[in-house]
Amino acid sequence: MDTNVLRAELIDKCIGSRLWVVMKDEKEFVGTLEGFDDYVNMLLRDVTEYDTDADGEVRTNKVERLLLNGNNICMLIPGGERPQ
Amino acid sequence: MAQDRTPAAFLAEIVGKPVVVRLNSGIDYRGVLSCLDGYMNIALEQTEECVNGEVKNRFGDAFIRGNNVLYISADRERWTE
Repeated sequence: MDTNVLRAELIDKCIGSRLWVVMKDEKEFVGTLEGFDDYVNMLLRDVTEYDTDADGEVRTNKVERLLLNGNNICMLIPGGERPQ
Repeated sequence: MAQDRTPAAFLAEIVGKPVVVRLNSGIDYRGVLSCLDGYMNIALEQTEECVNGEVKNRFGDAFIRGNNVLYISADRERWTE
């Protein structure tokens, strides 16, 4: 069985829906998934970026459309808005 | 998958336009995207270096090595100017 295809299909199912992306460091992104490639670089729309600093304070930043580098992505949660 | 919404298509679309490149360190580089490659190495023109939204430096041309890039987004603020 070609597992590569299955992995891609799992993310492919999320296209068009909200996705919560947790990075390796203290960063998170929530946005609508438009597309992705083999490296899981992701094209997101209506994105909110959450950056947690050393004091646990969360800074947010809104971006209309962005290409997120897949290099630092840790976890993807489909359909998820980030719990406050 | 919708072929026109892949990362490669997005990049082709924004070449020559104002973009914001955020690095893993949190520093933003705003400028006109002149070209880039598959490693996300980026060449920018009319570059502004922003730390916490404040312009710290201006460069005519800048090259950013791809491994530092967190994300690339279209810069709507400069778009509408």
